[in-house]
Amino acid sequence: MMRKKELKLVITFHTTADAMAMEKVCKLHDAPGRLIPVPRSISAGCGLAWCADPDCRESLKALMAQAGVKEEELHECMV
Amino acid sequence: MNLSDSKAKLTFAGIVCGLVAACLAYFGNPANMAFCIACFVRDTAGALGMHSAAAVQYARPEIIGLICGSFLIAVVTKEYRSTAGSSPMIRFILGIVIMVGSLVFLGCPLRMVIRMSAGDLNAWVALVGFILGVCTGVLALKNGFSLGRSHEANAGSGAVLPALMAGILILAVATPLLKFSESGPGSMHAPLMISLIGGLIFGAFAQKSRMCFAGSIRDIVLMKNFDLICVIGGVFVVMLVYNVAMGKFVLGFNTPGVIAHSEFLWNILGMYAVGFAAVLAGGCPLRQLILAGQGSSDAAVTVLGLFVGAALCHNFGLAASGTALNAETQEIVAGAVPAAGKIACVICILVCFVIGFTNKRKQ
Repeated sequence: MMRKKELKLVITFHTTADAMAMEKVCKLHDAPGRLIPVPRSISAGCGLAWCADPDCRESLKALMAQAGVKEEELHECMV
Repeated sequence: MNLSDSKAKLTFAGIVCGLVAACLAYFGNPANMAFCIACFVRDTAGALGMHSAAAVQYARPEIIGLICGSFLIAVVTKEYRSTAGSSPMIRFILGIVIMVGSLVFLGCPLRMVIRMSAGDLNAWVALVGFILGVCTGVLALKNGFSLGRSHEANAGSGAVLPALMAGILILAVATPLLKFSESGPGSMHAPLMISLIGGLIFGAFAQKSRMCFAGSIRDIVLMKNFDLICVIGGVFVVMLVYNVAMGKFVLGFNTPGVIAHSEFLWNILGMYAVGFAAVLAGGCPLRQLILAGQGSSDAAVTVLGLFVGAALCHNFGLAASGTALNAETQEIVAGAVPAAGKIACVICILVCFVIGFTNKRKQ
């Protein structure tokens, strides 16, 4: 059965390693979200992104700042 | 048209690419080499005189079409982005590694899938190595591997490789400068216009669908995401139908005429090197050509590595030979990987480990 698409916060990174670091940090702090391939509507590249509920934006930004993980951009799109 | 917002559309993109490959096989490309990035880059390197293996010299319009197709669709749909600066010389080495591994196995991941669809069990054996290689690459990613970020570059930088490819096409059509094989795989090809149009279509669809053999397995291993494998599935199914319909499906190992060998260990290790290096470089050989077309100078450097790797393989006798039928005795002569090729393959795997586990993300 096809999964229904929902509006999500999608955080993109400059490198795959940054996305992996984000996953590690989020797991460590029990923060919400998961790794996904960067949605095609955002980029023609084939990197990874962090996907979470839009209302987690501020808490994830704070966590990234604390852990030294630099995002490329924060998007909201259907995933 | 958005080709990537559903698995059905991604499968459709794979079917179109599979149809292109089937057409090229029908119109004269070598058996089971309907569309092989490594073989065709190797042939093009031969046409340019980078190596002197007389049987594999032909400026393959498919390669030119792929890069230019990706370039044109990226420009038209405003996705062209000229970027550069992510460890170019390491990517150059990875390009060489990918080519050495491919020519030890005798094919890139795309040809591996095409060979699998024709019943070549050696390709199924090699798939094990390819998956293990991708998994090792994923392990490196989890361990913090990074070649650093790329940056915006002058718009012209990303257009250099497509322009060079267009230049090769002009040289091939309008001058006698390039070399052409008179026998062997390099002499077997579809008509130029069909190859070129096929390459352009394949390149455009691969750019839109982000088709990538290493990426599809990486996404499954890393995120249990099955989107990209749908594209590969489309190619496989179309080529399977084509091979069965044309009586070209032969299940077995020692199949003369398909340009393959049955040295299991080296089929596995060759594709292991390709899978590992492809994850480190951010994509399989096909994906490198597509990324280079849409403006990545880093991918373009990897493509140059593929060309140099092809030259090294044939100048230093690293490439494997395919199982063949002796026309006089009617005996099957087994293909093999030369000792130099085995040593080079092991060195390439070691190089991947060094690159994969020493280049770390800066905190």
